[in-house]
This record gives sequence, C-alpha cells and structure tokens, in this order.
Amino acid sequence: MDGAGRARPCLRLGLVGVAALLGGCAWDGPQSTLVARSDFAREILHVYGIITWVSLGIAAIVVVALAWVLLRFRARPGAGLPPQVRGHALLEISWTVAPAVILLIIAIPTIEVVFRTQGAAPRGAIEVIVRGRQWWWEFYYPEYQLTTANELHLPAGRPAVLTLEGPDVIHSFWVPKLGGKRDVVPGRLNRLSFTPDTPGEYLGQCAEFCGTSHANMGLRVMVDAADVFERWIATERAPALQPAEGPAADGARVYAASACVGCHTVRGVSAGVIGPDLTHFGRRTTLAAGMLPNTAETLTAWIRDPQRIKPGAKMPALGLSEAQARAITTYLLSLK
Amino acid sequence: MAVREIELPHPHVAAEATGIWSWITTVDHKRIGILYGVSGFAFFLIGGLEALIIRLQLARPGNTVVDADTFNALFTMHGTTMVFLAVMPFGAAFFNYMIPLMIGARDVAFPRLNALSYWIFLAGGLFLNASFLVGTPPNGGWFGYANLTSRQFSPGLHIDFWLLSLLVLGVSSMIAAVNFIVTILNMRAPGMTLMRMPVFVWMSLVVQFLIILAFPPVTVALIFLMFDRFFGTHFYDVAAGGDLHLWQHLFWIFGHPEVYILILPAFGIVSEVLPTFARKPLFGAPVVIYSGILIGFFGFSVWSHHMFAAGMGPVADAAFSLATMLIAIPTGVKIFNWLATLWGGSIRGTTSLHFAVGLIATFTIGGLSGIMHSSPPVDLQQTDSYFVVAHLHYVLIGGSLFGLLAGAFYWWPKMTGRLLDERLGRFTFWVIFLAFNLTFFPQHYLGAMGMPRRIYTYSAASGWSLWNFVSTVGAFGLGLGILLFLIGAIRSLRSGAPAGPDPWDGRTLEWRTSSPPPPHDFDTIPPVYSRDSFWREKHGDRFGLKPTPLPVAPDAHGIHLPTPSYWPVVVAVGIGLTAVGALTHVGLVVLGALLVIYGGFRFALEHHRNPAHRDQTGVLGVDHRKVAMWAFLGSECLLFGTLIATYMAYRGRSVTGPYPHEILNIPLTTLSTFDLLMSSLLMVLALGAVQRGDRRQARLWLLGTAVFGLIFLGFQAYEFTHFVREGLTLQQNLFGSTFFVLTGFHGGHVALGVAWLLALWVLDLRGKLAAADAVKVEIAGLYWHFVDVVWIAIFTLVYLVP
Repeated sequence: MDGAGRARPCLRLGLVGVAALLGGCAWDGPQSTLVARSDFAREILHVYGIITWVSLGIAAIVVVALAWVLLRFRARPGAGLPPQVRGHALLEISWTVAPAVILLIIAIPTIEVVFRTQGAAPRGAIEVIVRGRQWWWEFYYPEYQLTTANELHLPAGRPAVLTLEGPDVIHSFWVPKLGGKRDVVPGRLNRLSFTPDTPGEYLGQCAEFCGTSHANMGLRVMVDAADVFERWIATERAPALQPAEGPAADGARVYAASACVGCHTVRGVSAGVIGPDLTHFGRRTTLAAGMLPNTAETLTAWIRDPQRIKPGAKMPALGLSEAQARAITTYLLSLK
Repeated sequence: MAVREIELPHPHVAAEATGIWSWITTVDHKRIGILYGVSGFAFFLIGGLEALIIRLQLARPGNTVVDADTFNALFTMHGTTMVFLAVMPFGAAFFNYMIPLMIGARDVAFPRLNALSYWIFLAGGLFLNASFLVGTPPNGGWFGYANLTSRQFSPGLHIDFWLLSLLVLGVSSMIAAVNFIVTILNMRAPGMTLMRMPVFVWMSLVVQFLIILAFPPVTVALIFLMFDRFFGTHFYDVAAGGDLHLWQHLFWIFGHPEVYILILPAFGIVSEVLPTFARKPLFGAPVVIYSGILIGFFGFSVWSHHMFAAGMGPVADAAFSLATMLIAIPTGVKIFNWLATLWGGSIRGTTSLHFAVGLIATFTIGGLSGIMHSSPPVDLQQTDSYFVVAHLHYVLIGGSLFGLLAGAFYWWPKMTGRLLDERLGRFTFWVIFLAFNLTFFPQHYLGAMGMPRRIYTYSAASGWSLWNFVSTVGAFGLGLGILLFLIGAIRSLRSGAPAGPDPWDGRTLEWRTSSPPPPHDFDTIPPVYSRDSFWREKHGDRFGLKPTPLPVAPDAHGIHLPTPSYWPVVVAVGIGLTAVGALTHVGLVVLGALLVIYGGFRFALEHHRNPAHRDQTGVLGVDHRKVAMWAFLGSECLLFGTLIATYMAYRGRSVTGPYPHEILNIPLTTLSTFDLLMSSLLMVLALGAVQRGDRRQARLWLLGTAVFGLIFLGFQAYEFTHFVREGLTLQQNLFGSTFFVLTGFHGGHVALGVAWLLALWVLDLRGKLAAADAVKVEIAGLYWHFVDVVWIAIFTLVYLVP
C-alpha cells in the first residue's frame, strides 16, 4: 500500500498460503457438503457450483482492481491535486445493471431447484417419521410399524420421504451428503424427500442449537442395497431373541428389575417410550446418538454414568453397581 | 438562570468542567460519544475474551477447556455482547461525536435524552454481564429461538437476564435514534441541504430509521417471551396452539435490518475516509447515498432468508431469495463507487485508509458468501454451519469493525487533539487483517465439510481438527492486534504529537474547528456552500474558485449550551432497578418504576420555560419536539402493528375456550370506543384554547380529555374483570394471551396519555402553560390522536371482524 516493495513479499506469502490451503483441504469428509449421494444433494451441488464460480470471479475482479488502483494511484511526492472527478453517469448505470444480469444467472437455477426439491412426494416412496429429541433421533417406519433410533436405514434407489416431528424443542435434520437440512419444528410437520443413490454409511448431526448437548446429537443413515434393506427390515420386525441362559439371561433379569424399563422399549419385555427403542440394540454400531462405538466397554460406562459422556442427557445415572451394569450390557448387546 | 452564556470574543474562557460528577451529569454530545466509545470498548474486550475461550475449546477435538453449558453461555454472550454492547455503541460513539460537528451544530436536538440513552445502555450492559456474577449467564443463543427459551426447557435466570437486558438496550437505542433523526433533519447549518450532507451523516440517518422501525417487532417478541416466562402466557407454547415460527419471524424482521444497523455506519465512514486520503470527491456521491437508502429499505423485505431451513414452503423461499439477491445490487454499487473514488486519486496510505481498503476487500468476500446463502438450496447446506460463521464475521469484522477502526484512526486526532503513531497503526492493521483472515477464512472450509455452529465439541474423525486449530491461532492474533490498537491509543494520549485542527486536509466541517473542539463546537456556525464545503473553502472548486465568504450571522442570544443534568442517570438507575427487581423481588420493581416516573417528571419539567428551550424550530420549520413525536409514532405503528398481526395470526388457534365470539361484548365496547373518539375532539379544543391563550378553556378541555381517557380505562377495567370472571385469563388460552397483551398495551398507552394530560393540566393550573408553550400540548395531542386511531384498528380487527 505504501510501496511495491512491501506488496511483493505479501504476494509470495499469499501464494504459499493458497497452496497450503489447497494441500490441507480434501473435498471429501464424513459430513462434506461437496459430495452428493442423493438426487437432492446433486441438485444443490449444481446451484452451489454456479454460485461459487460466479462469486470467485467477482471477488477476483474486485481484489485485482483494488490492488491495481492502490499501486497505480499512490501519492507521489510533489504531485498536485488529482482531477476532481465527481462521478460518471454511464459508468454508474453500467455497474448497476451488470450485477442485476449476473444475479439472473444465479436466480434462475435457484428458483428451479427450490420448486423441484420441494415438490409432491414421489410415488412408492418409503416414509419415515423422524422425531428429533433432546439429544437423540427416533425413526418410525409407518409401513413396517417399526421404531429405531439414531441409525436410519434406507434402501438405495427408492425415494424416501421424511416427516419431521418435534416432541420437545427445535432441531434440524442434516445429513450433508444426502442433501440440505430441514428444521424439526414442534407443532409443524416439515418434510424432506430425496432418493439416496449409493449404498454406504452417511453421517449427520443436529444443526439447530437445541440445548446443552446439541453437539452430541449425531445420526447415521445406512443406505443399503434393496435386498440388504429387506433383510434388515425383516430382522428388525421380528422380536429380538431373548437369551434363555448364561450371562445374557442374568443381564435380562437385572434389566427387567431395573428402572431402565420405565423409559425403554424392548418388545415383549418392556414398553417405555421416553428413551430409544432397544429391541435390536445389539445390531446398532454406535451408542448415545453416534457418540461412541457400541462396545461392551463403552456401553457399561454409559449405563453407569450417562451425564459424564453426554452432558445434560435425560437418562439418569441409576446407581447401578459395576456388576449390574456389565450384566445389562451383556444383555443389551445380545439383542440382535 | 439555568443557562451558561458564553461571550463570543472569549469563547475559550468557559473551559469545560472536569471531574467524575461532570462526566455523570454531562449532556455534551462529544463527552457522551467518548463515554459510548470507552464503554463499548470495555464490553468489546469482554466479548473478545469470550471468543478466545470459545476458540480455545475448539482448538482440538474433544477438548475440555470448558463444559457444554459454559460453552453455550459463551457463544450466547459473545454474540449478544458484540452486537448490542460493542458494535452498536461504537456506531453511537461516532454518531454522537461527529454528527453535530459534521452538520455544523452545537449539540444534538435533545442533549439530556442523549445522556439518558447512554446511561440506559450502560445499565443494560452491566445488567446483562451481571448474569456471570450470579452464575446464570444466558445460554440460548443470541437469536434465542423459542421454545428452547421457555421455562420448561430453560429454567433459571439465564434467559431472563438476556430478555430483560435486550428490552432495556432497545429503549436506549430507540431514544437515541429519535434524537439523531431530529438532529440530522432539523439542526443542519445554513446551506447544508440534505444532498450536501456528508455520506456518513446520511448513512447514520438511514441507521436511525432502521432502528426505530426494526426494534419494535423484537421488543414485542421479547415482551411475549417475558409474559410466557413470568406470567404463564402461551405465545410460544406449542401445546396451546402457539407457532414457533412467530418468534423467528419477529426476531429476523429485526435481525436482518440489524445487520445494516451494524454495517451502514462503517459504509459511511469509508465514504468519508476514501475521498480524504485519495484527495478526490466521493465518486457518484448521490448514488452512494441512494444505494444506502435502498439497502435499508430492502433490508426489511428479506428477513425470512434466515429461515430457509425452517420449512416455509417453496413460494416463500423463492420470494425471499429474490428479494435478498436484490440487495446485492446497491451493495455492489457502493463497492464500485469506492473503487472509482480511489481511481485517479493521489492515495495516501494512512492507517485509516488501510482499514477502509481492508473493508472493501473483506466485505466483498462477506457479501459474496451472502449471495451464496441467498439461494435456498445452497443455504440448506450452509445455514447453521461454520460457513455462516465465516460469512457473518467477514461482514461484521471485515465490514463493520474495519470501518469503525478506519473511523477511529481517522477521527482520533479530532477527538483527542493528538496523532496516533502511523507506523504502529499500519503494523496494527496488518496484524488484524492477516489474523482475521487466518481465523475466519478456514471456517468457510469447515462449514463446507459439514461442521455445524454452536457445537462445543467434535470428534477427531470429523476431519475438522487442522483448520479449527488454525482458526484458533488466528483468533489469538486478532486479540494481539486489538491489544496493539490499545497500546497505540494509550501512547497517543500520553505523548502523541499535537494534531492541529485539520491533520488530514479534511473535507467536512468537523475539521473546521479545533481538535478537540471547544464545548460549543464552533465559535461561529460555519456556512455551507456545497458538499465538501470545507475542502472548497481551502482548495476551490474544479476551476480553483473559492466561494465568496458569506457574512457570518452572529448568534443573537450568544451561545446557549445545555446545562448538565443528573436526571438522566436517575431514570436509568430506575430502569436498572426495575430489571433487577424482576429477577429478585417485586418491591424493587415498584421502587424502580417510581424512580423512573419521578425522575421522568423532574426531567421533563427541569427546563420548562427556560429561554434556551423556548424556540426549538429547526431547518425543517418544525419544532424539534414535533419531529421527535412523529418519529416516535412511526415506531409505535410497528409496535402495535406487530401486536395486532400476532393477534390475527393466532386467531382461531386456541385449543380451549372461552373463544372470542362467546365473550366479546360489542355494544359495550362501541360505547367506550365512542368515548375515546370524543376525547380526541376535546384534545383538539384544548390545543386551540392553549394556542389562543384562553387559559380557562384550556384547563377545562385538558381535564375533559383526561377524564374521557379515564372513562375509557374504566370500561377496560370492567371488561377485563368481567372476562376473568367468565374464565378468560392471560393464562387460559392463546386468545386470552393475545387479547390481554394487545388491549393491555393499548390501555397502558392511554394511561400514559392521561398522566401526561394531567401534568399539563397542573402546569396550566399553576399558570405555567402560556400560548408559547402550545407545542407541548400539540405533541401530547399527536400522541393522544395516535392512540385513538390505534384503538379504531383494534376495535375493528379484534371486535368487529368475525
């Protein structure tokens, strides 16, 4: 700004910075918005791309013009007053009209996608009722009368319609690779529909601040090939095999005698509705809304003191002994 | 006589009083500006500290610097503090100090109200931060979405502190805004037409209008929240039929204009700084002004772009998307006009210019990422992610704060009489500029990688660790930059070189007086020949022609400076006490309210019949007080508009009775409506009598109007008790909540009007209401008629429409 000598090292520094930036940035990550795995996400990415390139172009023009003006017109010693230009109508009109034209390039695909992605639900869609709760997710498949939590299974290639219900406060359902987020608003039924196209496991999490453990409200969407999904459904609909003997059976007795049954459902054993349905808990890969892998060790720690893992969690520490917690763990993990 | 008179030949004899008491009772716009700046900076440091703790916690995955609840409180307080207690007061500091100087006035229109806004602001800021001391800081986010803020989901005092301090701060902003509207419109020096006003003053004027129009909706939203939390109403109660979108709409109808309230002062500053240091007029100044007005205007039509994920449906999404995109046009025009201002200039690379140019660069990036969000599909991926965190900081730091720092370096010599160290200043700029980009540019990437906002922790598997760490390093660099600014400021105050009146070869009137300016600003009010009048006096126009000096009109009565007053502090203390009482004991509320009422009366009557206050007719040819009343009533339209709109939106949503048609008594209310309308007639008679100097009739009609008002209140009291007996209470259902709050608010307005009329009546009884004081009755009348008209709307929409 006050000399080209200062500007050059800055420029070099900038180039190094950009290189480092590109080196450190992968465009894929577990929750990347730049990788699309559903029709909805692809539609968004299409508009995203247009706007990004237009924006980068404009930013480049402005920054280059600014830098050039600053270097070219810096004060020189002994120079008199510059020409006192007050304005130029034609120029000003042109840089009012030009942005308007550029905006049209953005606006047209935007409006198209807005209406395309919020249209009527396609025929043959699988319907899921999503309930966002402090701080976990409940999924109910009306077609199969099936309830599960935190891990949503969907068949690849078949449209899915999610109806978002909020029993407590506002949450937001967001699985970036499957599309944009949609708020879960108590008293309203918001809808989100998309067709996942690639089998895989997709991470998401609540995107609307919802209280203490907002950060710990993760979810997973398992997109399965059609036959895998059918098998999953069939197993889930069947009652879990209750252990007849062994440590798991001991655990079942501890479970049935504990306060767990007041909040949790294990079909045929308990019918609580406050916490997640545990009927096939042993088949879930994660624990506590995606916070931990579902292992004996983590599950025991969770059962003994949920608050320590998930601050504010509605599940109380029940004062169970280590042995009792281990017994329940063994039982729950046996529920396949 | 309560006026200090300064004889012109020795204007500097009347040196300003010193000492703490003189600052507490000051009504000098320059001192109040300094108070705003210093308090704002103190709050800014607190908000910055909160940001640093936030960044420390996020520096690595699974960090344990603070726990979840503390983190939630930190980002809530950081946002609330930076918006209401730092950036807004920084703007207010410059409005206060500079607007009178730039328009060639000796003070603002209402100096004591000016002090009042400052002290209320301080009370609100201290009250908000006191929440830390009692261990219950607000933790619902600066946007406080219902229903997370309800008693059910947020027990304790956290949210109460937040909502009460925002209400208090809103009062402060409203008073200040009305004051500056009147000052700018009515107190310009001779020759200063609207189009000759400096662009900073223009942008300030737009901001004041945004404040008076944007604050009422959020005030109403907060009052609903207060009633829900304190009195058990159901505005945000889903089970009773409430709609959670209500809060979001009301908050963002305020929240989006608020963005322009924060950014337009910075745009104004840049529009002053660039011409000065390019030594060239602002390119296309009228277009820059019009685009600022358009930005303010469009700012009210785009609020729902904050709600694209909330499920409004494709039509609303599309409409708000297009409206948002439109804002890019006037904003882009500003950027191009600034570039053209620099083009062909003779650019001096002062620190101030560095920050102004920094603003153009970073705000362009922030503006462009804003265009990305204007597209709902893209926004669905970006909203509530770190991409938005990056965007808003590019706008509010890269835009607002850089502009305010440009202003600080530009006007510091004027305010202190001393220069800042330019070498240190430029170093400070580069530290801040680079650290800012290091902090926030990576956050775009984090957002694109799916990192949501407002999370206190994340797992290492997320892939967010590296750039979060980089961002934290940048944040500490930013802290260092602010520290450097502070060091430079202290060094300048101690040993800075004297600045002289016009260190930058300035263009506007503030450079035409000494640095710092004398208490009365100008020895003689400067004549204004054109835009950049002072520059023309020094350098001539395009042809080098200097204006022929106009004969200076001597001040006929000498220079009247307003006398110091402690009533503003008393009223502000009363407001603070009321807020404290709301959280502790109702007795304190009563005490605070009494203090406000008593202080308010003493405040109002302090200068009654003071010769300096007799003639307040300004350049619009209208009394200051009348302009103020019109501005206030404009704001009141939005207040009642919001209340009535809520009533209409909630009609038929109650889940239990009694329902309106079962309980509303139309014949009785027709009578009370008739009574209120007749009171307006008496008000007209009263004003006529006062203007004629017919004291007997004046007394009669003033009392008559008040009595008719009292009769109306009697009808209302009867109606309310009757409804309560019929089972309709505030808490009964949504109808009860909306009905009582709407009509109760109107009743409160009537009660205030009755008190005002009775005060005038007492003045008249004591023989102190002469024809010369008619304007006092006139503004009371404007208020009274307005309240009556509002009732007609309420009567029609609530009672008559089935």
